[in-house]
Amino acid sequence: MVAEPQTIIEARNVDFYYGDFHALKNVSINIAAQEVTAMIGPSGCGKSTFLKLLNRMNDFTPGARLAGEIFISGASIYGPDADPVDIRRRVGMVFQRPNPFAKSIYDNICYGPRLVGIRKPQDLDVLVEKALRAAALWDEVKDILSKSAMELSGGQQQRVCVARALALEPEILLMDEPTSALDPIATAKVEEWIKNANLTIVIVTHNMQQAARISDRTAFFFMGELVEFGPTMELFTRPQETQTENYITGRFG
Amino acid sequence: MTDESHPPAARDRGTLLKPKLSPTEKGARFFFLVCAISALGQMLLIMVFLFTEAGRLFVSLDGEKGVSLGEFFLSQDWYPTYPSPSYGALALVAGSLSVTLLSILLAGPLGVGLAIYLSSMAGRRSREWLKPAIELLASIPSVVLGFVGMVAIAPFLQNALGLPSGLNILNASLFLAVMATPTVASLGEDALSAVPQSVQDASYALGATHWETIWKVILPASLSGLSTAVILGLGRALGETIVVLMVAGGAAQIPLSLFDSARPLTSTLAAEMGETAIGSAHYHALFALGAVLFVLTLAFNLLAHYLGKYWRRKA
Repeated sequence: MVAEPQTIIEARNVDFYYGDFHALKNVSINIAAQEVTAMIGPSGCGKSTFLKLLNRMNDFTPGARLAGEIFISGASIYGPDADPVDIRRRVGMVFQRPNPFAKSIYDNICYGPRLVGIRKPQDLDVLVEKALRAAALWDEVKDILSKSAMELSGGQQQRVCVARALALEPEILLMDEPTSALDPIATAKVEEWIKNANLTIVIVTHNMQQAARISDRTAFFFMGELVEFGPTMELFTRPQETQTENYITGRFG
Repeated sequence: MTDESHPPAARDRGTLLKPKLSPTEKGARFFFLVCAISALGQMLLIMVFLFTEAGRLFVSLDGEKGVSLGEFFLSQDWYPTYPSPSYGALALVAGSLSVTLLSILLAGPLGVGLAIYLSSMAGRRSREWLKPAIELLASIPSVVLGFVGMVAIAPFLQNALGLPSGLNILNASLFLAVMATPTVASLGEDALSAVPQSVQDASYALGATHWETIWKVILPASLSGLSTAVILGLGRALGETIVVLMVAGGAAQIPLSLFDSARPLTSTLAAEMGETAIGSAHYHALFALGAVLFVLTLAFNLLAHYLGKYWRRKA
Protein backbone atom coordinates (compact mmCIF):
# COMPACT_ATOMS: atom_id res chain seq x y z
CA MET A 1 0.00 0.00 0.00
CA VAL A 2 1.07 3.55 -0.72
CA ALA A 3 1.00 6.22 1.92
CA GLU A 4 -2.25 8.11 2.53
CA PRO A 5 -2.38 10.70 -0.27
CA GLN A 6 -2.19 14.39 0.38
CA THR A 7 -5.42 16.41 0.53
CA ILE A 8 -5.65 19.14 -2.13
CA ILE A 9 -9.31 20.14 -1.80
CA GLU A 10 -10.98 20.42 1.55
CA ALA A 11 -14.63 21.35 1.95
CA ARG A 12 -15.79 22.11 5.48
CA ASN A 13 -19.49 22.20 6.40
CA VAL A 14 -20.59 23.55 3.04
CA ASP A 15 -24.22 24.63 2.67
CA PHE A 16 -25.36 26.07 -0.62
CA TYR A 17 -28.62 27.68 -1.68
CA TYR A 18 -30.14 28.70 -5.00
CA GLY A 19 -32.52 31.33 -3.66
CA ASP A 20 -34.66 29.35 -1.23
CA PHE A 21 -33.59 25.96 -2.54
CA HIS A 22 -31.16 24.22 -0.20
CA ALA A 23 -28.95 22.49 -2.77
CA LEU A 24 -26.07 21.29 -0.56
CA LYS A 25 -26.42 20.35 3.08
CA ASN A 26 -23.44 20.37 5.38
CA VAL A 27 -21.03 18.76 2.95
CA SER A 28 -17.51 18.07 4.20
CA ILE A 29 -15.01 16.18 2.09
CA ASN A 30 -11.26 15.86 1.59
CA ILE A 31 -10.20 15.23 -1.98
CA ALA A 32 -6.78 13.73 -2.57
CA ALA A 33 -4.14 15.13 -4.89
CA GLN A 34 -3.21 13.20 -8.04
CA GLU A 35 -6.28 10.99 -7.80
CA VAL A 36 -9.48 10.72 -9.80
CA THR A 37 -12.48 11.41 -7.60
CA ALA A 38 -15.91 10.62 -9.03
CA MET A 39 -19.13 12.19 -7.83
CA ILE A 40 -22.26 10.18 -8.45
CA GLY A 41 -25.91 10.44 -7.53
CA PRO A 42 -29.31 10.97 -9.10
CA SER A 43 -30.20 14.15 -11.00
CA GLY A 44 -30.56 17.15 -8.72
CA CYS A 45 -28.54 15.58 -5.89
CA GLY A 46 -26.07 18.48 -5.81
CA LYS A 47 -23.02 16.82 -7.36
CA SER A 48 -22.66 19.31 -10.20
CA THR A 49 -23.41 22.20 -7.87
CA PHE A 50 -20.61 21.05 -5.61
CA LEU A 51 -18.22 20.70 -8.54
CA LYS A 52 -18.94 24.25 -9.69
CA LEU A 53 -18.19 25.56 -6.21
CA LEU A 54 -14.62 24.36 -6.62
CA ASN A 55 -13.80 26.91 -9.34
CA ARG A 56 -16.38 29.49 -8.30
CA MET A 57 -18.54 29.05 -11.39
CA ASN A 58 -21.62 29.40 -9.18
CA ASP A 59 -20.68 33.05 -8.67
CA PHE A 60 -22.61 33.77 -11.87
CA THR A 61 -25.84 32.20 -10.64
CA PRO A 62 -28.24 34.85 -9.36
CA GLY A 63 -29.33 34.25 -5.78
CA ALA A 64 -26.56 31.75 -4.99
CA ARG A 65 -25.51 31.70 -1.33
CA LEU A 66 -22.79 29.72 0.39
CA ALA A 67 -22.00 28.87 3.99
CA GLY A 68 -18.96 26.93 5.15
CA GLU A 69 -15.48 26.94 3.72
CA ILE A 70 -13.57 25.39 0.84
CA PHE A 71 -9.79 25.22 0.77
CA ILE A 72 -7.57 24.43 -2.18
CA SER A 73 -3.95 23.72 -1.31
CA GLY A 74 -4.70 25.14 2.12
CA ALA A 75 -6.05 28.52 0.98
CA SER A 76 -9.70 29.43 1.35
CA ILE A 77 -11.17 30.03 -2.11
CA TYR A 78 -14.15 31.99 -0.79
CA GLY A 79 -12.14 34.04 1.69
CA PRO A 80 -11.89 37.82 1.41
CA ASP A 81 -8.48 37.62 -0.29
CA ALA A 82 -9.48 34.96 -2.82
CA ASP A 83 -9.37 36.00 -6.47
CA PRO A 84 -11.89 34.01 -8.57
CA VAL A 85 -9.97 34.66 -11.79
CA ASP A 86 -6.79 33.24 -10.29
CA ILE A 87 -8.69 30.27 -8.86
CA ARG A 88 -10.15 29.43 -12.27
CA ARG A 89 -6.67 29.47 -13.77
CA ARG A 90 -5.51 26.96 -11.18
CA VAL A 91 -8.66 24.85 -11.29
CA GLY A 92 -9.62 23.98 -14.86
CA MET A 93 -13.03 22.80 -15.97
CA VAL A 94 -14.43 20.68 -18.76
CA PHE A 95 -18.16 20.98 -19.33
CA GLN A 96 -20.98 18.61 -20.11
CA ARG A 97 -21.20 19.54 -23.77
CA PRO A 98 -18.10 20.32 -25.78
CA ASN A 99 -17.94 24.12 -25.91
CA PRO A 100 -14.98 25.08 -28.09
CA PHE A 101 -14.77 28.69 -29.20
CA ALA A 102 -15.57 29.38 -32.86
CA LYS A 103 -11.85 29.81 -33.47
CA SER A 104 -9.08 27.61 -34.79
CA ILE A 105 -7.90 24.64 -32.74
CA TYR A 106 -4.66 26.53 -32.13
CA ASP A 107 -6.43 29.66 -30.88
CA ASN A 108 -8.71 27.60 -28.66
CA ILE A 109 -5.70 26.13 -26.86
CA CYS A 110 -3.97 29.52 -26.69
CA TYR A 111 -6.97 31.28 -25.15
CA GLY A 112 -5.92 30.75 -21.53
CA PRO A 113 -2.18 31.25 -22.02
CA ARG A 114 -2.76 34.50 -23.92
CA LEU A 115 -4.91 35.77 -21.05
CA VAL A 116 -1.96 35.40 -18.72
CA GLY A 117 0.25 37.31 -21.14
CA ILE A 118 2.02 34.56 -23.08
CA ARG A 119 2.22 36.00 -26.59
CA LYS A 120 5.45 34.81 -28.24
CA PRO A 121 4.56 32.45 -31.10
CA GLN A 122 7.37 30.02 -30.26
CA ASP A 123 6.20 29.76 -26.62
CA LEU A 124 2.61 29.24 -27.71
CA ASP A 125 3.61 26.58 -30.24
CA VAL A 126 5.28 24.61 -27.48
CA LEU A 127 2.28 24.99 -25.19
CA VAL A 128 -0.19 23.94 -27.87
CA GLU A 129 1.73 20.78 -28.69
CA LYS A 130 2.16 19.90 -25.04
CA ALA A 131 -1.51 20.44 -24.22
CA LEU A 132 -2.75 18.52 -27.24
CA ARG A 133 -0.36 15.64 -26.49
CA ALA A 134 -1.58 15.61 -22.89
CA ALA A 135 -5.16 15.44 -24.12
CA ALA A 136 -4.25 12.59 -26.51
CA LEU A 137 -5.30 14.63 -29.50
CA TRP A 138 -1.99 15.72 -31.02
CA ASP A 139 -1.67 12.98 -33.63
CA GLU A 140 -5.19 13.56 -34.88
CA VAL A 141 -4.98 17.33 -35.30
CA LYS A 142 -1.30 18.27 -35.65
CA ASP A 143 -1.72 19.00 -39.38
CA ILE A 144 -4.99 20.91 -39.08
CA LEU A 145 -4.28 23.28 -36.19
CA SER A 146 -5.59 26.27 -38.11
CA LYS A 147 -8.89 24.58 -38.83
CA SER A 148 -11.92 25.70 -36.83
CA ALA A 149 -12.48 23.59 -33.74
CA MET A 150 -16.18 23.56 -34.61
CA GLU A 151 -15.44 21.27 -37.55
CA LEU A 152 -14.10 18.46 -35.38
CA SER A 153 -16.12 15.49 -34.15
CA GLY A 154 -17.77 15.69 -30.74
CA GLY A 155 -15.10 13.56 -29.08
CA GLN A 156 -12.32 15.62 -30.63
CA GLN A 157 -14.05 18.83 -29.60
CA GLN A 158 -14.25 17.61 -26.03
CA ARG A 159 -10.56 16.77 -26.04
CA VAL A 160 -9.84 20.26 -27.46
CA CYS A 161 -11.69 21.53 -24.39
CA VAL A 162 -9.55 19.29 -22.18
CA ALA A 163 -6.38 20.51 -23.93
CA ARG A 164 -7.56 24.10 -23.62
CA ALA A 165 -7.93 23.66 -19.87
CA LEU A 166 -4.60 21.83 -19.60
CA ALA A 167 -2.74 24.60 -21.43
CA LEU A 168 -2.95 26.64 -18.23
CA GLU A 169 -1.29 23.76 -16.35
CA PRO A 170 -3.99 23.66 -13.68
CA GLU A 171 -3.48 21.93 -10.35
CA ILE A 172 -6.92 20.40 -10.57
CA LEU A 173 -9.25 19.55 -13.45
CA LEU A 174 -13.00 19.50 -12.87
CA MET A 175 -15.10 17.52 -15.32
CA ASP A 176 -18.87 17.89 -15.36
CA GLU A 177 -20.30 14.78 -17.06
CA PRO A 178 -17.70 15.20 -19.80
CA THR A 179 -18.86 12.23 -21.85
CA SER A 180 -22.63 12.59 -21.62
CA ALA A 181 -22.84 14.16 -25.08
CA LEU A 182 -20.35 11.75 -26.67
CA ASP A 183 -20.71 8.46 -28.50
CA PRO A 184 -19.18 5.28 -27.00
CA ILE A 185 -15.93 5.45 -28.96
CA ALA A 186 -15.33 9.10 -28.07
CA THR A 187 -16.29 8.29 -24.47
CA ALA A 188 -13.71 5.51 -24.36
CA LYS A 189 -11.01 7.91 -25.55
CA VAL A 190 -11.85 10.50 -22.93
CA GLU A 191 -12.01 7.82 -20.20
CA GLU A 192 -8.68 6.42 -21.33
CA TRP A 193 -7.23 9.89 -21.03
CA ILE A 194 -8.65 10.39 -17.52
CA LYS A 195 -7.19 7.09 -16.30
CA ASN A 196 -3.70 7.97 -17.53
CA ALA A 197 -3.74 11.66 -16.62
CA ASN A 198 -1.14 12.77 -14.15
CA LEU A 199 -3.40 15.28 -12.46
CA THR A 200 -5.99 15.73 -9.74
CA ILE A 201 -9.33 15.15 -11.41
CA VAL A 202 -12.81 15.55 -9.95
CA ILE A 203 -15.44 14.16 -12.28
CA VAL A 204 -19.20 14.26 -12.00
CA THR A 205 -20.89 11.43 -13.81
CA HIS A 206 -24.34 9.97 -14.28
CA ASN A 207 -22.81 6.74 -15.29
CA MET A 208 -21.91 4.44 -12.41
CA GLN A 209 -19.92 2.06 -14.61
CA GLN A 210 -17.85 5.01 -15.69
CA ALA A 211 -17.17 5.98 -12.08
CA ALA A 212 -16.18 2.41 -11.33
CA ARG A 213 -13.90 2.19 -14.37
CA ILE A 214 -11.93 5.39 -13.97
CA SER A 215 -11.98 6.71 -10.42
CA ASP A 216 -9.87 6.06 -7.34
CA ARG A 217 -12.50 7.35 -4.94
CA THR A 218 -16.19 7.90 -5.29
CA ALA A 219 -18.54 10.25 -3.49
CA PHE A 220 -22.26 9.48 -3.48
CA PHE A 221 -24.57 12.50 -3.19
CA PHE A 222 -28.27 12.29 -2.46
CA MET A 223 -30.73 15.15 -1.90
CA GLY A 224 -27.93 17.63 -1.32
CA GLU A 225 -26.08 15.50 1.20
CA LEU A 226 -22.81 13.66 0.85
CA VAL A 227 -24.02 10.20 1.82
CA GLU A 228 -20.86 8.20 1.42
CA PHE A 229 -17.30 8.76 0.28
CA GLY A 230 -14.59 6.16 -0.02
CA PRO A 231 -12.31 4.16 -2.31
CA THR A 232 -14.28 3.33 -5.45
CA MET A 233 -13.82 -0.44 -5.13
CA GLU A 234 -15.15 -0.43 -1.60
CA LEU A 235 -18.06 1.88 -2.31
CA PHE A 236 -19.27 -0.25 -5.17
CA THR A 237 -18.67 -3.66 -3.57
CA ARG A 238 -19.33 -2.99 0.13
CA PRO A 239 -21.37 0.20 0.48
CA GLN A 240 -21.78 1.28 4.10
CA GLU A 241 -25.07 3.12 3.67
CA THR A 242 -28.39 1.64 2.57
CA GLN A 243 -29.04 4.62 0.27
CA THR A 244 -25.75 4.04 -1.51
CA GLU A 245 -26.52 0.38 -1.90
CA ASN A 246 -29.99 1.10 -3.24
CA TYR A 247 -28.59 3.55 -5.76
CA ILE A 248 -25.72 1.46 -7.07
CA THR A 249 -27.89 -1.61 -7.36
CA GLY A 250 -30.36 0.38 -9.41
CA ARG A 251 -33.27 0.45 -6.99
CA PHE A 252 -33.73 4.18 -7.63
CA GLY A 253 -32.09 7.02 -9.48
CA MET B 1 -20.10 1.80 -53.84
CA THR B 2 -20.50 1.69 -57.60
CA ASP B 3 -21.94 -1.41 -59.13
CA GLU B 4 -20.65 -1.91 -62.68
CA SER B 5 -23.71 -3.77 -63.92
CA HIS B 6 -26.18 -1.15 -62.60
CA PRO B 7 -24.96 2.36 -63.28
CA PRO B 8 -26.88 4.72 -60.96
CA ALA B 9 -28.66 6.48 -63.84
CA ALA B 10 -30.32 3.27 -64.97
CA ARG B 11 -31.95 2.59 -61.61
CA ASP B 12 -35.58 3.29 -60.81
CA ARG B 13 -35.35 6.51 -58.82
CA GLY B 14 -38.71 6.00 -57.15
CA THR B 15 -41.60 8.43 -56.85
CA LEU B 16 -41.27 11.82 -55.22
CA LEU B 17 -42.85 11.85 -51.75
CA LYS B 18 -45.06 14.79 -50.84
CA PRO B 19 -47.14 15.68 -47.81
CA LYS B 20 -50.80 15.00 -48.45
CA LEU B 21 -52.92 18.11 -47.89
CA SER B 22 -56.63 18.34 -47.07
CA PRO B 23 -58.79 20.90 -48.96
CA THR B 24 -58.71 23.23 -45.92
CA GLU B 25 -54.93 23.07 -45.85
CA LYS B 26 -54.81 23.75 -49.57
CA GLY B 27 -57.10 26.74 -49.07
CA ALA B 28 -54.92 28.10 -46.28
CA ARG B 29 -51.88 27.59 -48.43
CA PHE B 30 -53.47 29.55 -51.24
CA PHE B 31 -54.38 32.40 -48.89
CA PHE B 32 -50.82 32.76 -47.62
CA LEU B 33 -49.47 32.50 -51.13
CA VAL B 34 -51.68 35.46 -52.08
CA CYS B 35 -50.26 37.43 -49.12
CA ALA B 36 -46.74 36.70 -50.22
CA ILE B 37 -47.41 37.55 -53.85
CA SER B 38 -49.17 40.78 -52.96
CA ALA B 39 -46.18 41.98 -50.96
CA LEU B 40 -43.95 41.19 -53.90
CA GLY B 41 -46.44 42.84 -56.27
CA GLN B 42 -46.55 46.06 -54.25
CA MET B 43 -42.80 46.17 -54.29
CA LEU B 44 -42.64 45.64 -58.04
CA LEU B 45 -45.37 48.17 -58.82
CA ILE B 46 -43.71 50.85 -56.72
CA MET B 47 -40.38 50.16 -58.37
CA VAL B 48 -41.83 50.27 -61.87
CA PHE B 49 -43.67 53.51 -61.11
CA LEU B 50 -40.63 55.10 -59.48
CA PHE B 51 -38.22 54.21 -62.25
CA THR B 52 -40.49 55.07 -65.17
CA GLU B 53 -41.36 58.46 -63.69
CA ALA B 54 -37.68 59.02 -62.91
CA GLY B 55 -36.59 57.89 -66.36
CA ARG B 56 -38.67 60.58 -68.10
CA LEU B 57 -36.28 63.22 -66.76
CA PHE B 58 -33.63 61.89 -69.07
CA VAL B 59 -35.70 61.75 -72.28
CA SER B 60 -36.92 64.81 -74.14
CA LEU B 61 -40.19 66.26 -72.82
CA ASP B 62 -42.55 68.62 -74.61
CA GLY B 63 -39.86 69.57 -77.07
CA GLU B 64 -37.41 70.33 -74.26
CA LYS B 65 -34.14 68.47 -74.18
CA GLY B 66 -33.92 65.79 -71.46
CA VAL B 67 -31.41 66.14 -68.64
CA SER B 68 -28.24 64.14 -69.20
CA LEU B 69 -27.27 61.42 -66.70
CA GLY B 70 -23.91 63.14 -66.37
CA GLU B 71 -25.51 66.40 -65.32
CA PHE B 72 -27.83 64.68 -62.87
CA PHE B 73 -25.16 62.69 -61.09
CA LEU B 74 -22.13 64.96 -61.36
CA SER B 75 -23.47 68.49 -61.14
CA GLN B 76 -23.97 70.00 -57.75
CA ASP B 77 -26.33 72.69 -58.97
CA TRP B 78 -29.87 71.98 -57.91
CA TYR B 79 -31.86 74.95 -59.25
CA PRO B 80 -35.14 73.37 -60.38
CA THR B 81 -37.16 76.60 -60.37
CA TYR B 82 -34.75 78.91 -62.15
CA PRO B 83 -35.67 80.21 -65.61
CA SER B 84 -32.98 77.96 -66.98
CA PRO B 85 -33.23 75.17 -64.42
CA SER B 86 -30.49 72.71 -63.52
CA TYR B 87 -31.00 69.35 -61.90
CA GLY B 88 -27.74 68.22 -60.32
CA ALA B 89 -28.24 65.71 -57.53
CA LEU B 90 -24.67 65.53 -56.27
CA ALA B 91 -25.10 68.09 -53.48
CA LEU B 92 -28.28 66.38 -52.30
CA VAL B 93 -26.66 62.93 -52.30
CA ALA B 94 -23.72 64.43 -50.43
CA GLY B 95 -26.17 65.99 -47.97
CA SER B 96 -27.87 62.65 -47.34
CA LEU B 97 -24.65 60.72 -46.99
CA SER B 98 -22.98 63.28 -44.74
CA VAL B 99 -25.77 63.42 -42.16
CA THR B 100 -26.27 59.65 -42.34
CA LEU B 101 -22.63 58.72 -41.91
CA LEU B 102 -22.10 61.30 -39.22
CA SER B 103 -25.14 60.06 -37.33
CA ILE B 104 -23.99 56.46 -37.49
CA LEU B 105 -20.58 57.50 -36.16
CA LEU B 106 -22.52 58.58 -33.08
CA ALA B 107 -25.27 55.95 -33.01
CA GLY B 108 -23.05 52.97 -33.89
CA PRO B 109 -20.75 53.06 -30.84
CA LEU B 110 -23.56 54.27 -28.59
CA GLY B 111 -26.00 51.59 -29.77
CA VAL B 112 -23.44 48.79 -29.59
CA GLY B 113 -22.34 49.98 -26.15
CA LEU B 114 -25.93 49.99 -25.00
CA ALA B 115 -26.41 46.51 -26.45
CA ILE B 116 -23.34 45.23 -24.59
CA TYR B 117 -24.56 46.77 -21.36
CA LEU B 118 -28.04 45.30 -21.79
CA SER B 119 -26.92 41.84 -22.83
CA SER B 120 -24.07 41.18 -20.45
CA MET B 121 -23.75 43.77 -17.74
CA ALA B 122 -27.13 45.06 -16.66
CA GLY B 123 -28.88 43.34 -13.82
CA ARG B 124 -32.45 42.20 -14.25
CA ARG B 125 -33.77 45.35 -12.59
CA SER B 126 -31.97 47.81 -14.82
CA ARG B 127 -32.88 45.79 -17.91
CA GLU B 128 -36.50 46.00 -16.89
CA TRP B 129 -36.61 49.75 -17.16
CA LEU B 130 -33.88 50.32 -19.73
CA LYS B 131 -35.38 48.18 -22.49
CA PRO B 132 -38.80 49.88 -22.47
CA ALA B 133 -37.03 53.24 -22.27
CA ILE B 134 -35.14 52.44 -25.46
CA GLU B 135 -38.34 51.32 -27.16
CA LEU B 136 -39.94 54.55 -26.06
CA LEU B 137 -37.07 56.50 -27.58
CA ALA B 138 -37.73 54.71 -30.85
CA SER B 139 -41.39 55.62 -30.71
CA ILE B 140 -40.98 59.39 -30.30
CA PRO B 141 -42.44 60.92 -33.48
CA SER B 142 -39.60 62.35 -35.54
CA VAL B 143 -41.40 65.66 -35.93
CA VAL B 144 -41.11 66.09 -32.16
CA LEU B 145 -37.38 65.48 -32.34
CA GLY B 146 -37.12 67.93 -35.21
CA PHE B 147 -38.98 70.51 -33.18
CA VAL B 148 -36.58 70.10 -30.26
CA GLY B 149 -33.73 70.46 -32.72
CA MET B 150 -35.15 73.68 -34.08
CA VAL B 151 -36.08 75.44 -30.89
CA ALA B 152 -33.51 74.12 -28.42
CA ILE B 153 -30.38 72.76 -30.07
CA ALA B 154 -30.16 75.19 -32.98
CA PRO B 155 -30.11 78.36 -30.85
CA PHE B 156 -27.72 76.67 -28.46
CA LEU B 157 -25.27 75.77 -31.23
CA GLN B 158 -25.64 79.21 -32.75
CA ASN B 159 -24.82 80.99 -29.48
CA ALA B 160 -22.25 78.60 -28.07
CA LEU B 161 -20.20 78.38 -31.25
CA GLY B 162 -20.97 81.76 -32.75
CA LEU B 163 -22.44 80.32 -35.94
CA PRO B 164 -24.64 82.16 -38.41
CA SER B 165 -27.24 79.39 -37.98
CA GLY B 166 -27.67 76.35 -35.75
CA LEU B 167 -29.49 74.44 -38.47
CA ASN B 168 -26.67 72.34 -39.85
CA ILE B 169 -25.48 68.78 -40.39
CA LEU B 170 -24.22 68.47 -36.83
CA ASN B 171 -27.67 69.24 -35.47
CA ALA B 172 -29.35 66.90 -37.95
CA SER B 173 -26.87 64.09 -37.24
CA LEU B 174 -27.47 64.39 -33.51
CA PHE B 175 -31.16 63.76 -33.97
CA LEU B 176 -30.71 61.07 -36.61
CA ALA B 177 -28.40 59.38 -34.12
CA VAL B 178 -31.12 59.57 -31.48
CA MET B 179 -33.42 57.81 -33.92
CA ALA B 180 -30.94 55.20 -35.10
CA THR B 181 -29.62 54.29 -31.63
CA PRO B 182 -32.66 52.20 -30.59
CA THR B 183 -32.45 50.23 -33.85
CA VAL B 184 -28.76 49.50 -33.36
CA ALA B 185 -29.18 48.75 -29.65
CA SER B 186 -32.10 46.41 -29.97
CA LEU B 187 -30.82 44.46 -32.99
CA GLY B 188 -27.35 44.44 -31.44
CA GLU B 189 -28.67 43.08 -28.18
CA ASP B 190 -30.37 40.24 -30.03
CA ALA B 191 -27.06 39.42 -31.72
CA LEU B 192 -25.08 39.52 -28.47
CA SER B 193 -27.64 37.49 -26.54
CA ALA B 194 -27.48 34.79 -29.18
CA VAL B 195 -23.92 33.90 -28.11
CA PRO B 196 -24.37 30.64 -26.19
CA GLN B 197 -23.86 30.77 -22.43
CA SER B 198 -21.71 27.64 -22.72
CA VAL B 199 -18.87 29.38 -24.55
CA GLN B 200 -19.03 32.28 -22.11
CA ASP B 201 -18.71 29.75 -19.29
CA ALA B 202 -15.72 28.24 -21.08
CA SER B 203 -14.06 31.64 -21.15
CA TYR B 204 -14.66 32.31 -17.45
CA ALA B 205 -13.48 28.84 -16.55
CA LEU B 206 -10.17 29.61 -18.30
CA GLY B 207 -9.61 32.55 -16.00
CA ALA B 208 -10.97 35.31 -18.23
CA THR B 209 -12.45 38.37 -16.60
CA HIS B 210 -15.87 39.67 -17.53
CA TRP B 211 -14.38 42.24 -19.89
CA GLU B 212 -12.01 39.73 -21.51
CA THR B 213 -14.96 37.44 -22.10
CA ILE B 214 -16.96 40.21 -23.76
CA TRP B 215 -14.02 41.37 -25.85
CA LYS B 216 -12.58 38.03 -26.91
CA VAL B 217 -15.60 35.75 -27.08
CA ILE B 218 -18.92 37.56 -27.17
CA LEU B 219 -18.02 40.38 -29.58
CA PRO B 220 -16.22 38.22 -32.17
CA ALA B 221 -19.05 35.70 -32.13
CA SER B 222 -21.67 38.38 -32.73
CA LEU B 223 -19.83 40.54 -35.28
CA SER B 224 -22.15 39.31 -37.98
CA GLY B 225 -25.28 40.45 -36.16
CA LEU B 226 -23.66 43.65 -34.91
CA SER B 227 -22.61 44.76 -38.38
CA THR B 228 -26.15 44.10 -39.59
CA ALA B 229 -27.51 46.14 -36.68
CA VAL B 230 -25.28 49.11 -37.46
CA ILE B 231 -26.08 49.12 -41.16
CA LEU B 232 -29.82 48.81 -40.59
CA GLY B 233 -29.47 51.77 -38.21
CA LEU B 234 -27.74 53.55 -41.07
CA GLY B 235 -30.67 52.73 -43.34
CA ARG B 236 -33.03 54.10 -40.73
CA ALA B 237 -31.11 57.40 -40.71
CA LEU B 238 -30.85 57.58 -44.49
CA GLY B 239 -34.60 57.30 -45.00
CA GLU B 240 -35.54 59.76 -42.26
CA THR B 241 -37.19 62.86 -43.69
CA ILE B 242 -38.82 65.21 -41.28
CA VAL B 243 -35.91 65.70 -38.88
CA VAL B 244 -33.49 66.59 -41.64
CA LEU B 245 -36.09 68.81 -43.28
CA MET B 246 -36.44 70.75 -40.04
CA VAL B 247 -32.87 70.98 -38.78
CA ALA B 248 -30.36 70.30 -41.56
CA GLY B 249 -30.62 73.85 -42.88
CA GLY B 250 -31.70 73.04 -46.41
CA ALA B 251 -28.96 74.57 -48.55
CA ALA B 252 -28.25 72.49 -51.65
CA GLN B 253 -24.48 72.45 -51.35
CA ILE B 254 -21.82 69.89 -50.62
CA PRO B 255 -21.20 70.32 -46.88
CA LEU B 256 -17.56 70.76 -45.99
CA SER B 257 -17.76 71.21 -42.24
CA LEU B 258 -19.91 70.03 -39.36
CA PHE B 259 -21.55 73.42 -39.26
CA ASP B 260 -22.52 73.63 -42.91
CA SER B 261 -26.12 73.49 -43.96
CA ALA B 262 -27.22 70.53 -46.09
CA ARG B 263 -30.25 69.44 -48.11
CA PRO B 264 -30.63 65.67 -48.03
CA LEU B 265 -32.58 63.78 -50.70
CA THR B 266 -35.49 63.04 -48.40
CA SER B 267 -36.11 66.61 -47.33
CA THR B 268 -35.80 67.84 -50.92
CA LEU B 269 -38.55 65.44 -51.96
CA ALA B 270 -40.79 66.37 -49.06
CA ALA B 271 -40.31 70.10 -49.49
CA GLU B 272 -40.64 70.33 -53.25
CA MET B 273 -43.12 67.66 -54.31
CA GLY B 274 -46.09 69.75 -53.21
CA GLU B 275 -45.00 72.76 -55.20
CA THR B 276 -44.28 71.28 -58.56
CA ALA B 277 -46.50 70.76 -61.57
CA ILE B 278 -47.24 67.12 -62.27
CA GLY B 279 -45.43 66.03 -65.39
CA SER B 280 -42.88 68.84 -65.34
CA ALA B 281 -39.17 68.24 -65.53
CA HIS B 282 -38.89 69.22 -61.87
CA TYR B 283 -41.51 66.59 -61.01
CA HIS B 284 -39.55 63.89 -62.80
CA ALA B 285 -36.31 65.10 -61.27
CA LEU B 286 -37.82 64.54 -57.82
CA PHE B 287 -38.71 60.99 -58.84
CA ALA B 288 -35.14 60.53 -59.96
CA LEU B 289 -34.01 61.63 -56.49
CA GLY B 290 -36.44 59.08 -55.05
CA ALA B 291 -34.90 56.40 -57.22
CA VAL B 292 -31.42 57.34 -56.03
CA LEU B 293 -32.61 57.13 -52.43
CA PHE B 294 -34.17 53.75 -53.13
CA VAL B 295 -30.94 52.44 -54.65
CA LEU B 296 -28.88 53.76 -51.73
CA THR B 297 -31.20 52.11 -49.20
CA LEU B 298 -31.10 48.88 -51.16
CA ALA B 299 -27.32 49.08 -51.27
CA PHE B 300 -27.13 49.47 -47.49
CA ASN B 301 -29.45 46.51 -46.98
CA LEU B 302 -27.40 44.37 -49.34
CA LEU B 303 -24.25 45.48 -47.54
CA ALA B 304 -25.82 44.46 -44.23
CA HIS B 305 -26.70 41.10 -45.71
CA TYR B 306 -23.25 40.41 -47.13
CA LEU B 307 -21.32 41.72 -44.14
CA GLY B 308 -23.48 39.53 -41.93
CA LYS B 309 -22.70 36.53 -44.08
CA TYR B 310 -19.01 37.41 -44.27
CA TRP B 311 -18.57 37.59 -40.50
CA ARG B 312 -20.62 34.45 -40.00
CA ARG B 313 -18.32 32.60 -42.35
CA LYS B 314 -15.25 33.97 -40.62
CA ALA B 315 -16.54 33.02 -37.20
